[in-house]
Amino acid sequence: MTQTADLFAAATPASPAVHRSAPQALKAGGVPPTPQIAGGGRVSQLWYAAVFPELIDAAHSAAVLQRLCLHAQTFTSLVSIEPPNALLLEIKGSLKLFGPLERLHADIDACWRRLALQVNSAAAPSTLAALWLARGGAHTGNPAGSRPVVIDDLGTLSGRLARLPIACTAWDTERLRTLNAMGVTRMGELLRLPRAGLARRLGAATVRDLDIALGRQFAPRRTFVPRARFRARCDFEEEIENVAYMEKALEPLIACCAQFLRERQAGVQALRLRLKHRAGTTTCMHAGLADITGERRRLTDVLTQKLGRLELRAPVKGMELISGSLQPLSAASLDVFAGLTGTGGRDTAPQLVERLRARLGEDAVYGVASIPEHRPEAAWRRVHELSMATASRMGEKMTGSRVDDGMPRPVWLLDVPLPLAHDWVLGQGPERIESGWWDGRGVARDYYVARRVCGTRRSQGPKLWVFQERRSKRWYVHGVFA
Amino acid sequence: MDARESSSLADVLADARVWKLKDASAAPARPVWSTGKSALDARLPGGGWPTASLIEVLLDDTGLGEVQLFLPALVDCQRRMGQGGSAGDVSWLVWIAPPHEPYAPALAQQGIDLTRLLVVRPASATEALWAAEQALSSGICAAVLLWLKGTDDRWLRRLKLAAEAGGALGVLFRPERHRFESSPASLRVLMTQGEHEVRLDLLKVQGGRPGPVDLGGS
Repeated sequence: MTQTADLFAAATPASPAVHRSAPQALKAGGVPPTPQIAGGGRVSQLWYAAVFPELIDAAHSAAVLQRLCLHAQTFTSLVSIEPPNALLLEIKGSLKLFGPLERLHADIDACWRRLALQVNSAAAPSTLAALWLARGGAHTGNPAGSRPVVIDDLGTLSGRLARLPIACTAWDTERLRTLNAMGVTRMGELLRLPRAGLARRLGAATVRDLDIALGRQFAPRRTFVPRARFRARCDFEEEIENVAYMEKALEPLIACCAQFLRERQAGVQALRLRLKHRAGTTTCMHAGLADITGERRRLTDVLTQKLGRLELRAPVKGMELISGSLQPLSAASLDVFAGLTGTGGRDTAPQLVERLRARLGEDAVYGVASIPEHRPEAAWRRVHELSMATASRMGEKMTGSRVDDGMPRPVWLLDVPLPLAHDWVLGQGPERIESGWWDGRGVARDYYVARRVCGTRRSQGPKLWVFQERRSKRWYVHGVFA
Repeated sequence: MDARESSSLADVLADARVWKLKDASAAPARPVWSTGKSALDARLPGGGWPTASLIEVLLDDTGLGEVQLFLPALVDCQRRMGQGGSAGDVSWLVWIAPPHEPYAPALAQQGIDLTRLLVVRPASATEALWAAEQALSSGICAAVLLWLKGTDDRWLRRLKLAAEAGGALGVLFRPERHRFESSPASLRVLMTQGEHEVRLDLLKVQGGRPGPVDLGGS
C-alpha cells in the first residue's frame, strides 16, 4: 500500500512537465511545495472528524452543529463546521492536556454519546483524511460506538485511505459516476492513477483534494466563533426598594457592558435586566434600542428610563444585566471624536426615539408612510422601524406621480368614517373612488370637500372631507382639513 | 459732538438692562420662517414665524386650517435643512398627541419629507409635555407640534426654555378658554371661525404689535 503512495508521489517535482509556471502547474495538477511532513512521519496536525449521519435536514443541522461546536470547544479551540453534517477538531494541541490520543478520542466520542447522538468518528493527520475515514466508518456499516479509526502518522495514512470506497469523499455525483465508469470504486485504485490524466478528466479540485487528504497540502479551516453576549450580575447587601439606588448600582454594570462592547467593536440592540427578589422570583425588563450601539450614555439612558417606569412588586436582592446578541458596529457609530467636538451634548434621531420609546412604550412613537393605493384608509401606514427611508421613499415616488391629479387630501384622517350629523355645504368634488372589490373591502364612494354650517346665521364651520356611499346613499365624514 | 452723542447712545443701547421695543420691520437675531402668507408675515417681527421659541395657537375646533398655517414653513425649513447636510440632521418634525391620524398622502402632497416625521402618542398630558420637552431640547428637530387640552404656566416655561436650548420651533395647540391665562409663549395666536372665513388674532407678539390679522382671503 505504501507503494501506491509512492506511485502517486512519483508525479511530484521530478516530473519536468510540472515545472512550467506556478498557475499552469496547478492547473495541470502539479503539487505545490509540501508544507507539513516533518521527518520520521511525525505530524504537526491531528484532526478529529465527527460525522453525524442523523443530521439530514440542512437548515436544522446547521443550528445543531453550532450547538455541538460549543460542546466540542471543551476539547480544543479549533473547531470548524463541515457542511452538511460533520465537525472537524484540531486535537494535536490538546494531546498534552487530554492525551494520550486514544483517551482523548474516546472522551470526545463519549461527549456525543451523552447527547444521544449517533456518530462516526476518526482521527487523522489531515482534514480530509479524517473526514473520509469517518464517513468510511459509516459506509462500511460500522455500527456507531465500535472501535474508531485513529491514525497518527503519515506513513500508514495512505494505506488506510486506499481501503475506503470512493463514495466517502462526498464529491458530486457526476465525478463519482465518471470514476465508476472508469472502474474505480476504492480510493486505492484512484490513488494509483496518474495525476495529469486525473486532473484532466476530473478537474484540478480532485487532485487537490487528494493532496490535502495525503497531507501534502494545507487546507485552511474557518474556526467556529461562538456568539458572545455580555452578562454580569451584582448582589446587594441589603434589599433595595428605591429605584434611585438601583440606578446607582446599575452604573458599574453598564460601564462593564460598554467596555465589553468596546473591546469587541460591537454593539447591541437590546438589553435585558433581571431583578431578583427574595422569594426567588424575578422581574425581567427588556429595553430596546433604536439602532445598534455600544455607547455607555445611551445604554444608561434607556435603562434608567425603563427603571423609572417600573413598579416594584417586592424589594430587590440583586440584579443581572444581559445584553442581546452582539452585532458589529457600523463605521458611522465608531465616532471617536464625538465627545471632543462639542456635538457630544446633542442627540441623534435614534437616541431621541429610543428615549421616547423607553418611557412611552414601543408603539407610541412611529413614522408614517404613504402607499400607492386608491382607498384613502389603505393609502398610508405606520412605520415603526427607524430606518424609514427605504419604505417611504418608494411611497413618495408613487405619490409624487399621483400629486398631479390635484385632488385635495385632508391633514387628518378619521380612524373610521363617521356618519355626517350636521348641515353642510358641498365644495369641490366629486372625486369618485371605487376600488378594492378583489379583497372584500371594496369601496364605492364620491368624495367632496365640505364645510359644516352651524348656527341660525348659517355661518360656515370647519372644512371636512366627506363622502357619499354610492350604494346606500349615506353621507360620512372621513377627514378634516386642519 | 455728534459722534460723542451717538456713541453714548450706542452705549446705552448696549446695556442689557435697557429693553428695546423693536419695530416689526427690524430684523431679529434669530432666523424666521416665512408663513407663506404676506399679510401675516408683515405683522410678525422679522417677517415670519420666530424659530427657537414657543408659539401658542388657541382654537376650539380642529379644521380651521391650523396645521395649514404652519405647513409651508415646515416644508420650506425641511428642504433647506435637508440640503445643508453639514450641520447634521436637524430637520425632524415631531407631532405629539395630534387629535387624529396625520394622513401621510396629504402631507406628502404638500411636500413634507415623511422620512423625517415622527408621530408620538403619549398616554397622558404629562407624558406629552415630557416628550415635547425632550424633542425640543434634542437639537435635531426643526419643529415640534403639540396638541393639548390644558397645561399650567410652569410647564410652558419649561417648553420655552427647551425650545430655546434646542433651537427648534415649538407650536402648542390649546383650547380657546386658555386665552386669558398668562403664557410665556413669544407669540400667541387665536383662531376663530368667522362668518365666512377663519379669523386670526395675534394676542401677544414679542417685538411686534398685537391685534387681528386680515388675511385678505389668501
